[in-house]
Amino acid sequence: MRRLLLLLGLLVVGAGPLGAQTTLTQPPSGQPRIAVPLEPPLAPARPAAAPESPLIAHLSQQSAEISTTFAGSSIFVFGSSAVPLGLDGADVVVVVRGPTDAVTVRRKVRILGMWFNGPSSRFENVPGFYGVAGTMPAWHVLPEELRRQYGIGLDALEFQRSGASSGNFRQALEDLRREQQLWLEDSAPVRVEAGRLFYVRLPLPATVPAGDYAVEVMLVRNRQVIAHQELPFVVERVGTAATIADVSRGQPLLYGVLCVLLAGFAGWLGSVLFRRG
Amino acid sequence: MQVYLPIAEMSVNAFLLIGIGFGVGWLSGLFGVGGGFLLTPSLLLLGVPAPVAVASGANQVLGASVSGLIAQWRRGNVDWAMGVVLVVGGLIGSAIGTQFFAWLRSLGLVDAVVAIFYIVVLGSLGSLMVMESVRAILRRRAAVPRRLHQHFWMHGLPLKVRFRKSRLFISVIPPAVVGVLIGLLSAVMGVGGGFMLVPAMIYLIGMPTSVVIGTSLFQIVCVTAGVTVLAAVQMGSVDIVLTLLLLVGGVVGAQFGAALGGRLRGEETRFLLGALVLGVAALLGWGLIQAPERLFSLTFD
Repeated sequence: MRRLLLLLGLLVVGAGPLGAQTTLTQPPSGQPRIAVPLEPPLAPARPAAAPESPLIAHLSQQSAEISTTFAGSSIFVFGSSAVPLGLDGADVVVVVRGPTDAVTVRRKVRILGMWFNGPSSRFENVPGFYGVAGTMPAWHVLPEELRRQYGIGLDALEFQRSGASSGNFRQALEDLRREQQLWLEDSAPVRVEAGRLFYVRLPLPATVPAGDYAVEVMLVRNRQVIAHQELPFVVERVGTAATIADVSRGQPLLYGVLCVLLAGFAGWLGSVLFRRG
Repeated sequence: MQVYLPIAEMSVNAFLLIGIGFGVGWLSGLFGVGGGFLLTPSLLLLGVPAPVAVASGANQVLGASVSGLIAQWRRGNVDWAMGVVLVVGGLIGSAIGTQFFAWLRSLGLVDAVVAIFYIVVLGSLGSLMVMESVRAILRRRAAVPRRLHQHFWMHGLPLKVRFRKSRLFISVIPPAVVGVLIGLLSAVMGVGGGFMLVPAMIYLIGMPTSVVIGTSLFQIVCVTAGVTVLAAVQMGSVDIVLTLLLLVGGVVGAQFGAALGGRLRGEETRFLLGALVLGVAALLGWGLIQAPERLFSLTFD
């Protein structure tokens, strides 16, 4: 166990040039979420020694904090496989799903020479963040029906919808989300080190929604998911940003009055400090 | 320096916001208006969602107008009685306006309606101001003596009240109606309404110009305070971080603008403001006619 953690620690340090600055100062010290009996964890000669789960995955940080200086973050997933990874071996697929919300997609139409919002389509339970990465693209290593069943890949996301039913709206939702970098598909591959260790960093833009995320790590071999692990991740507002959002939501009247008083005070202060002539 | 706006849920450059605040504050100090009519479109251009831009814009105009009001009050240039009539009308107008805005939002029409309101109001006001000021500049040499104000049907209305500071004895109905209309417009457009109120008080109500600025600022402070609270309660769309960053630039810019404004003639100032207002209207009109870059847009509930 200790050997494994040490190796993982070294790996994270080694991944420094890839932008692992946040993890450099804090090598992973927490216990893996799922206790897997991995007696000699990296012994290729005895694959039968780990029959329960040949996969062990971990997050460098279990949360991202939205403070007033928040400008984006990332999820760093790493782990090891008891079966060799890469060509002729197994593959790793990582899926991150953020909190869901209803989204309305509107299409602009031209009326009297001016452009207005026209027909709309409403999608339920749309993930505010969705990212998929793999050592190989998921469609390459998994049969189509299995990939759809697991919901791996942007085209495998299905939503209840109402309103305009044209397929353009579903495509527009995907395009706009990709453009905002809130939906990622194979933007960066999962990297493999020494045939056993894997890691990937999924970037979170500044517009990520706060809430509970789920990071799903799958080990795929012979077009089958042979091991699977789910890790929780949370994006939370902290400090002033959290207080402001909470007060605004919980006590809107108090918040409105405070905004008025604060703005009035700032105006008065400015007129006293910067009076000219 | 990137700053996260907790209500708009986006990250923006703080210095950019301070700079916008300074520019708008400078112009508003120069022309004696709140400057919201420039601020809200600028925020929309930055990608701030329309409800947040409108509500936070009103909140920033409130802050910027407080300092002006204090200065005018010290000089005794505020007609409180007229101000109260305008404010009561304005609060009724802004209550209707925020309901109207929330309704438009549910239809997904906010952006288009706000843009059309802007174009119609700014376009007509800008043209009127430019024409009036050009005539005034031409008339300056002729030096025709004028009456204090014209008398017409409006002065036959009942409920007459004496407004001592404005030296007027008129019905309360016209100022109240002006107040309601401007409150409604400021709720939909996210502006204090100063650029509409100042001409309305001079040309429609017939108040002396010296009292107009102070009284208009009093009305702007009250109406924007009402809009801020109502928007916070009904939509939760006031972003105090955004407001305060804009105010940092705004209060400084306003002092510089006011210093320059003191060196311009009244009709020259009105001409420049009219031209600026027309320019903003033309830019917004172009945005509505031009084929959009993206046909589709997303909204969240």
